[in-house]
Amino acid sequence: MSLKTSLFEEHVSLGAKIVEFADWQMPIQYKNLKEEVIAVRDSVGVFDVSHMGEFFIEGKQALDFVDHLVTNDIKNAEISKAIYSPLCREDGTIIDDLIVYKISNEKLMICVNASNIKKDFDWMNSHLSSFDCTLINRSDDFSLLAIQGPKTFETLSQLDLNFQIEDNDYYSIQIGSDDKTPILLARTGYTGEDGFEVFGPHEFIKALWKQLMDAGVKPCGLGARDVLRLEVGYPLYGNELDETVTPLDTGLKWTVKMSKPSFIGKQALQDYQAKTQSIKLILDKGIPREGYVIENSQAQEIGTITSGTMSVCLKKGIAFARVDKNLYGPEEEIIVNIRGKKYSATRTKKPFVAGGHK
Amino acid sequence: MAKVIEELKYTEDHEWVSVENDIATIGITDFAQSSLGDIVFVELPEEGDELAASSSFGVVESIKSVSDLNSPITGIVTEKNTTAEDTPEALNEDAFSAWLIKIKISDPAELDNLMDSKAYAEYCEASS
Repeated sequence: MSLKTSLFEEHVSLGAKIVEFADWQMPIQYKNLKEEVIAVRDSVGVFDVSHMGEFFIEGKQALDFVDHLVTNDIKNAEISKAIYSPLCREDGTIIDDLIVYKISNEKLMICVNASNIKKDFDWMNSHLSSFDCTLINRSDDFSLLAIQGPKTFETLSQLDLNFQIEDNDYYSIQIGSDDKTPILLARTGYTGEDGFEVFGPHEFIKALWKQLMDAGVKPCGLGARDVLRLEVGYPLYGNELDETVTPLDTGLKWTVKMSKPSFIGKQALQDYQAKTQSIKLILDKGIPREGYVIENSQAQEIGTITSGTMSVCLKKGIAFARVDKNLYGPEEEIIVNIRGKKYSATRTKKPFVAGGHK
Repeated sequence: MAKVIEELKYTEDHEWVSVENDIATIGITDFAQSSLGDIVFVELPEEGDELAASSSFGVVESIKSVSDLNSPITGIVTEKNTTAEDTPEALNEDAFSAWLIKIKISDPAELDNLMDSKAYAEYCEASS
């Protein structure tokens, strides 16, 4: 199976290098990945992320249902907020990470990873029967653009959009149009910079893309997106997060709200002792890549790299690593084994690069 | 259109070979550097390392990818270009000047397996 977004032909005509990602033919980069990363950090860039999934939950108990599904607190969040959360099984392992958009108490949208659309929908649907609400997978109705960078708001304000765009807060949403397939603008993104993710019907998004191109906004691919998210220390499902770990193993304790009366996975997570830990590494020399082995100073294997790249902003190798809590002492020297050679790495607790979002 | 130099020999992995007496100088082609994008890391073998034809002798890395360098022929490394290791961007600037290693050729007959510039230009055309 090979799916194409509504903008596929645009990507091809711009000379994008296309790769298959989660069954989708997606642009990994256009002319130059480095320039795409820099455009987002310093100015503005746009990503076609229409492959991602959109679910709508509507009805009297829509809020209760979503709050029951995810670990973060949706119930007490204000209307018009976007909330990041893991979706866990009863045993606390992570099915996916997602963003909930609280349009109202009776209408919520959830954006999920493209590779997990079916799995997430089936899971959610299997828990639906005791709630008075509907769950609809509307992924096919929406295209999605992530417009990211310090000049995003300024750029969008100058476009002809048929609605007024508000300078709202980070992680909040506004409705552009309330049609059957609505236009929803979220002050969110996966780059650490200010920006909007714009969900809308295909024709609207195609017209928006054209306006953005005419305004000189740089088209950016999934390669740049991966570098940008790693630089600001955001985890990726399939790499840092998967079904073998819980939020407590992966630095997501802040998204698990034990104060909620109940949610799927609460009991398991309450008593859970983390076995692994997700740490951030920076290398003076050598580029860490997914799968490389991490050793301690006694050459004992303590974990593996889950994502790694050359940082465009730092010009150094950066990575997320999953290490065994029993084998890793915080003060320990860390070695990355790259093709049999040992490269020294330093742990950092802060993001590698400070994003500029509000 | 990637640059191809007439007097060199080429591999299907986009390495170029220049032969002078029993020494082969090896690098990556303009087509290779252009497909890789910004080259940010180069790892080369040490002097004295023995290489078999088609075996990996190092890597070139772009921001998001790692590519093996494969030896076009069998031989012993006599020299490596430390400038290429220290300033990998030199490969993007001029891939034919930024050579990687020199090898003492063990079996000159292996050179006959390589493409000439005309064949290589056609090969690039077909793979782009």
